[in-house]
Amino acid sequence: MRDRLEDLSLAGPGILLLALAFILPIVEMLRLSFVGTDGSVTVEHFVRFLSDPYYLGVVWRTIYLSILITAICAAVGFPLAYVMARVSPQLRLWLIVLVILPLMTSVVVRTFGWMVLLGRGGLIPVVLWKLGLAGRNFTLMHTEAAIVIGMVQVLLPFTTLSILGVIMKIDRRLEEAARTMGASFLATMCNVVLPLAMPGILAGSLLAFTLSVSSFITPSLLGGVRLPVVAGSIYESATKTLEWNFAAAQSVILLVGVLIVLMPYIRLSERRHG
Amino acid sequence: MFAKVSRTTAALALAAIFITPAAAKDKLVINSYGGAYEQIHRKLVIEPFMKKYDVDVQVITAYSADALAQLRAQKAAPQYDVIHFSGGQEVVAAREGLISPIKAEELPNAKDLYPFAVEGLARGEGPVHAVAAIGLLYNKDTAPKKPTRWADLWDPAYKDHVVLTDLSNSYGLLGFLMMNKVKGGDIKNPDPGFNAVKELLGSAVIVSTSPELQQNFAQNDAWIAPYAQDYAYTLRKAGLPIEFVQGAEGTPAVYLTANLVANRPNQDLAKKFIDFSISPEVQEGWARELRYSPTNKAAKLDDALAKEVVYGDKAVAGLMRFDPVEVDAARASLIERWKKLIAR
Repeated sequence: MRDRLEDLSLAGPGILLLALAFILPIVEMLRLSFVGTDGSVTVEHFVRFLSDPYYLGVVWRTIYLSILITAICAAVGFPLAYVMARVSPQLRLWLIVLVILPLMTSVVVRTFGWMVLLGRGGLIPVVLWKLGLAGRNFTLMHTEAAIVIGMVQVLLPFTTLSILGVIMKIDRRLEEAARTMGASFLATMCNVVLPLAMPGILAGSLLAFTLSVSSFITPSLLGGVRLPVVAGSIYESATKTLEWNFAAAQSVILLVGVLIVLMPYIRLSERRHG
Repeated sequence: MFAKVSRTTAALALAAIFITPAAAKDKLVINSYGGAYEQIHRKLVIEPFMKKYDVDVQVITAYSADALAQLRAQKAAPQYDVIHFSGGQEVVAAREGLISPIKAEELPNAKDLYPFAVEGLARGEGPVHAVAAIGLLYNKDTAPKKPTRWADLWDPAYKDHVVLTDLSNSYGLLGFLMMNKVKGGDIKNPDPGFNAVKELLGSAVIVSTSPELQQNFAQNDAWIAPYAQDYAYTLRKAGLPIEFVQGAEGTPAVYLTANLVANRPNQDLAKKFIDFSISPEVQEGWARELRYSPTNKAAKLDDALAKEVVYGDKAVAGLMRFDPVEVDAARASLIERWKKLIAR
């Protein structure tokens, strides 16, 4: 009995904070999303969103950009994490510092950096122009490519570090055994390291995907008003046209969408752990 | 003249002392819009007014929509004496009886105002004390020629260098309504405007905030953009070669009004404040500090300054106004249609 009391008192502040800062706002958001313009209970906001090709297009853009971003993060993050796990501890420390360093700066500041690099007359368009690959007026700003580049840079540390944690735990002797049994480096990677690292890759991808479907600053700054994503659309409805109920409905849809994606992922990683 | 004014002031001050012996100074409560605007508002209007009439003025920062919401909530016991609006809310406030009508005779400076600035008085609204004109901003160094008409936005000479502003921005909304009008539409029929914008979409950049507009002029080689005259001045101060022209078809504008709140005890002093706001000296100050156009004919601007605001009978004749109530009613649907149009 006393144990439970102690547990409760230890968890209390955390639970209280969660209730106040997370559950309460979500309940309020759920309530708002079902309130019509005249105060009655209605699903009109959901119907409006889900029956309009424009909003479905916004959802589709958000999903395929997020999948692309997640895939790139995993594809770049896995080899990077593998190398980090296999070098000397000292070098690993430096690599971790390098990966974490960008997180020390605000996302907004980093995004502004990309705006300078990708905009007309910025470093990347100018290099492409000098190489004869693009016109002088070429710009990467306000393109989906810009969103992907910016988001990958923001999310890569999360993916890399989650994969690193798992690869570190893989017994090196398994790889050595595979090699002595005649497997090539590539075969070792595919048949030994990759399957064993899968929980880390799944966890990292999950993190990257959920963060990127709900991200708002980077897509709105790099993509501009002509490439709306769901989070940006919620922001517009809440602050520009002041349609709070519609904004709440969009948030509920986003939340449910993320949960639906999370389910199979969680199942999959549970099975791997079990 | 000056001596006479100060003698009257002295007499008034003296009278005030006798009427309210040992009481605290009279106090007015007003709203302002915060930021640089409020700083200049204090410097040009509020502080000189406090000194001149020896009264206190309490400033509460509240944008127009907020201010209207507060007035509604306080209808039984209003807390403001003078309320400033920039989005046409005075039309609604007057209709709902939240603000009191003012007679032109009650404002000594009203006789010098342009007719457009006092026409609201008949509807129970306050006078217009400043105007932010919407027209064409262009880069005088890089643009191939100086634009003269709104229709020039579709001139192939500016192709790939046009910047349009999102309708969620109120200047962007007014600019769009003007483009719509130029193409033959009106608020109830925005099809011509949307079709015309569609033609531009392939070659124009669309921004949603003022800093983005600045960035496009500074880095993205923008030549022409419909926007506000005061912001052209902000860009010039930032070192950009940006000039403002009034489109020949007309100049829509944001009209800043000062209104008398109903059911407040000290309406006489509030009227003095409103009158002070429309005095030539104050209006010259707004033009000098922020490039808002004066509504008082007697405001004397030097030549350089006069060129950078809407000044003189001919320029003022070009000013026009979209019905604020209609704009407000159409806003959400216009924004949604615009979003759908511009989304790639």
